[in-house]
Amino acid sequence: MFATSLLGWCQWLEHTPLAFAIAESTWLFPLIEGSHILALPLSVGMIAIFDLRLLGLAFRGGPAAKTMNEILRWSTPGFAVMFITGGLLFMTHAGQAYENAFFRAKLVFLLALGINAAVYQTIFYPKMAEWDAARATPVGAKLCAGLSLLVWIAVIICGRTMAYQL
Amino acid sequence: MLAPLLAFVQWCSTWAPIVFLRDSRYGMPVVQSVHLVGITLFLAAILVLDLRLAGIGLKDESLHRLERQLKPWAIAAVVLVVVSGVLIFLGTPSKYLQSNPFRIKMAGLGLAILFHFGVFRRFVTADSGSHPRRGHLVVAGLSVTLWFLVGWAGRAIAFVP
Repeated sequence: MFATSLLGWCQWLEHTPLAFAIAESTWLFPLIEGSHILALPLSVGMIAIFDLRLLGLAFRGGPAAKTMNEILRWSTPGFAVMFITGGLLFMTHAGQAYENAFFRAKLVFLLALGINAAVYQTIFYPKMAEWDAARATPVGAKLCAGLSLLVWIAVIICGRTMAYQL
Repeated sequence: MLAPLLAFVQWCSTWAPIVFLRDSRYGMPVVQSVHLVGITLFLAAILVLDLRLAGIGLKDESLHRLERQLKPWAIAAVVLVVVSGVLIFLGTPSKYLQSNPFRIKMAGLGLAILFHFGVFRRFVTADSGSHPRRGHLVVAGLSVTLWFLVGWAGRAIAFVP
């Protein structure tokens, strides 16, 4: 019941004038898809630098909490572009995307990344300046960072692979 | 000079591992994903340096330290991008050799590399301190424009003949 209504909603979405306009425009779809992919460095790339620092694989030998938080702030416009363009791309192929295993996996991974980020923000972020200055990154924070890196790579693989199948 | 090179490229495209990548269901999607992961990390490093060089952000950190800390990861990312890029190209070389966006991508890549080592790196290593001048802003802007031009041309291969 729930599944059929969700699929119905996806099919309705695909037939809205906006979805048609994007899908049928010769330059709008490539422009939106290109923006979605080229926003990766500003969104996921910034997160990756942050994660590498938490794991002690970059920016060793000195406090970096301030710089890292600024790098994280720069990812906000990147993610804004990601979600807007991603939503528009979904609209144009909503029915097929709904059925696609890689799209489903991508959504599950994104949800996991959201929870992971929320855990980091509530548990580890409030004292980041302290443990960063003492160069004693909590094991839990490193775990969040490692998970984030791996799952973001999985998201990229799922996104790229689903594009071959739609 | 060009003919033997073309013959070699054609031979490579019939080489068993390349044929396997091209014809298997998930071969090319995985190689394309590696290409994207590398681009994500490399352009993120470029963006960070450009933001600092332009004096827009990350002012608590010296350009020198940012460059030194990001360099190993940028190099690793370039290796991923180049290896995966060559594999993608060898999968269907004729498609890419006849593609206008691909030609623009390669020309843009040449320009971006020349600019990177000829101009950008000089500004980064000179690191004049915390007062960026207009020249720094222009160099940072050109750097980001050239590298993203390469990315856009790459994306256009899928849409433009």
